[in-house]
Amino acid sequence: MKQSELTLIFLKAGMQTTVQDQGRAGLQHLGVPIGGALDKRSAELANYLVGNNQQTPVLEITMMGPEILFDTDALVAVTGAQFDIYIDNRIVKNEEAFHVKSGTIVRFGQLNYGCRAYMAVAGKWNAKKWKGSASPILQAAEATPDSIIKKGSKLKIESAHLNKNGTLDKNTSTPPLANKIRLKVKAGPEFENISRTAIAKFFGQGHLITQDANRMGYRLKTELTALEEKKEMISSGIIPGTVQLTSSGQPIILLNDAQTTGGYPRIVNIIAKDLDQIAQLKPGDEIWFSLE
Amino acid sequence: MEIIAYGDNALLINFEQKIDSETHQLVKSYHNAIINIEEVVYQIPAYCSITVVFDNESINFEILKDKIKELGIKPEQTQSKSKIIEIPVCYETDYAPDIESLAQDLKLSQEDIISLHTSQTYDVYMMGFLPGFPYLGKLPKELECKRKSTPRKFVKSGSVGLAGIQTGIYPSEAPGGWQLIGQTPLKIFNSRKEEPFLLKMGDLVKFYTISATEFKKIQDEAK
Repeated sequence: MKQSELTLIFLKAGMQTTVQDQGRAGLQHLGVPIGGALDKRSAELANYLVGNNQQTPVLEITMMGPEILFDTDALVAVTGAQFDIYIDNRIVKNEEAFHVKSGTIVRFGQLNYGCRAYMAVAGKWNAKKWKGSASPILQAAEATPDSIIKKGSKLKIESAHLNKNGTLDKNTSTPPLANKIRLKVKAGPEFENISRTAIAKFFGQGHLITQDANRMGYRLKTELTALEEKKEMISSGIIPGTVQLTSSGQPIILLNDAQTTGGYPRIVNIIAKDLDQIAQLKPGDEIWFSLE
Repeated sequence: MEIIAYGDNALLINFEQKIDSETHQLVKSYHNAIINIEEVVYQIPAYCSITVVFDNESINFEILKDKIKELGIKPEQTQSKSKIIEIPVCYETDYAPDIESLAQDLKLSQEDIISLHTSQTYDVYMMGFLPGFPYLGKLPKELECKRKSTPRKFVKSGSVGLAGIQTGIYPSEAPGGWQLIGQTPLKIFNSRKEEPFLLKMGDLVKFYTISATEFKKIQDEAK
């Protein structure tokens, strides 16, 4: 195995490009969000395609992709959202490892399906970690200075040219990329406190995702009738996939970067294995919920 | 105490739904005991609940629920010793943007607010909102107050605020709606330190007054 120093130089950052891994579990009692790739499955597949282990960071690329200059040869794979990806002017495939020659530029063009793509590069990433993870924390950006990509950012990787087949088996399942999906949910802790009319409306219609959608959470366009229970709830823990109802009756899906506690009733919880699909939804897309 | 499922890989322990020291002691004891259950990935202790996230490939809700029930922690066994952390606060006007208006609202003098705020020790009931943000309680009755109707876009790191029956300290710069009555020069969250958190759930906090000169001195020493 030949190893060499690779630097990714970001000529353009994209809309929101971050370094993500599996996040950090175990500091939530201190108010630290769990973080980590929103579409875990796609992140894992990208690492698999280039022969990295699952703990290796990847780039999470949202809606509008970056332009990256490679100063050394590398093995790369992109999964998740489907962008038109170019090496200089040649288009390369999604979900298949490809070689990038030293001095060429990888560019993300049009987004065709989904919302978040994951780019893996074979080798050992030298992004600075904090408490076991390179995933950035909004409120402590200084802890992981390499993890929010800006124009001009440089990311060092001990590149490895592994003898990797680099394709997916036909039977490998990948998260579906649709703009209208149905998710399985379980009743949340405060389900019983919410009026039957609001519950009926919640399950009886599709919910559009508003522009207010990021790694902390997605606000849905629906206005359910205001809550019956007027008594304020005492703040309690929240986890990714919780759907809470604000006092105006607007549902919010909480995701990996959400704060760890909240004071709104938790109507339902999206089952863990359906969470990857949410990561691929963007404003204007539609969700239906069904109770499991 | 009731234990209910929360999603497919977590459960929620709900204690009596009130904010007080006895409930807090129970939360603390359960949290400390649950740490030893191998299949637990993380916990979020709050005022009167604990969210317990587990690995659903190695344990299920029913078994974990039984394990937690078997801990059988009794309220009278929960009086453990806590660390008291003393926190210097400068309550002078430059550091306390809301103290004057709050004094008017509460019909107290600024000196009353300071002496009431420094008169007792507070439990760190829970952490949340921001990494390292402690929710401390309960406030003396006279200091109970509403949040500001319009939250500030920027609250300085170290600001000490009041809201409802709670007091808290901003660990980093953030937007926020608490009534700001002072500021500490201590960094209660410092990501560069090996031990980044000055406080954790279960500690005790006591505030004491310092002057603006002392504030600057402590701040310079920390650099």
